[in-house]
Amino acid sequence: MTVLKDVVAELIGMFVAEKRLTIAVLGVVTVAGCLVNFTDLDPLVGGAVVLLGCLILLIESVWCSAGADAS
Amino acid sequence: MTWSIAAPAITAAFLASVVEVVEAFTLVLAVATLRGWRPAAWGTTAGLALLAAIVVLLGPLLDHVPIHSLQLAIGILLLLFGMGWLRKASLRAAGIIPLHDEDAVFAAAAAQLDQQTRRQQRNLHWVAGITALKAVLLEGLEVVFIVIAVGAGRGLLMPASLGALAACALVLIIGAVVHRPLSRVPENTLKFGVGVMLSAFGVFWTGEGLGIAWPGQDLALLLFAALSLPAGLVGTALARRSRMELAL
Repeated sequence: MTVLKDVVAELIGMFVAEKRLTIAVLGVVTVAGCLVNFTDLDPLVGGAVVLLGCLILLIESVWCSAGADAS
Repeated sequence: MTWSIAAPAITAAFLASVVEVVEAFTLVLAVATLRGWRPAAWGTTAGLALLAAIVVLLGPLLDHVPIHSLQLAIGILLLLFGMGWLRKASLRAAGIIPLHDEDAVFAAAAAQLDQQTRRQQRNLHWVAGITALKAVLLEGLEVVFIVIAVGAGRGLLMPASLGALAACALVLIIGAVVHRPLSRVPENTLKFGVGVMLSAFGVFWTGEGLGIAWPGQDLALLLFAALSLPAGLVGTALARRSRMELAL
């Protein structure tokens, strides 16, 4: 039973390293999906949103974690 | 097979597997050192058998998922997984969280097994075997995910699997020779590199899944990796500066 519990915890931990980052990434992908599917914009705009959004989120997450940890 | 996407897939599977297999090896070695090779061997074998069963049972299901849905699901999971690795590696590089230390992991596992030995005198081999099984299963799950994630989208499962198997063979051979935790493996550098590659794959597959035709097709992957690397480094630099400012 403990093994099963550990496996489930491991699987969740693999994709939810930090809750806020996970939610934000899902939000960025949702926005990009809406831009691609429900607007007349070039689909590459959606691609740029995914790429730049995720890179900005990464930098912000590392920076904020450092600040939170130090304070 | 285009090498612009096959080479990063194989390299990512190989490097990520090195990281995971080194971690599993440390725990199996702790079991073997304290309780002998028999429980370590059966725990490892059982862990590998469970992983194989998971792959055999779930692998064929992937063929029934529409390609765009599969690419989108894998892309999002890769983004979450890769960015998680990159974030952690950046925080470790900046000194915010301690570096992964195989010697410390070995000592902690040994202490835990020792404690369990004192608590219950019976079934010691069982407890030790389960420890080895858990180590192989939990670290192996990540390897299986990475192989599927970088390989499934373009029929690269076999090359990615070979990359992972090569990593297993390499770690086991070195481990058998040195017979101690592989603490000199630059774990954080590997994790940083793999995080960059998996994040790039994540952006690529998410875009493909959404129906975006990337300019340059597979070569776009290299551009995403080239942009993810400085993003990780900028994050590290900002975190380090933030830490130093707050320390003053």
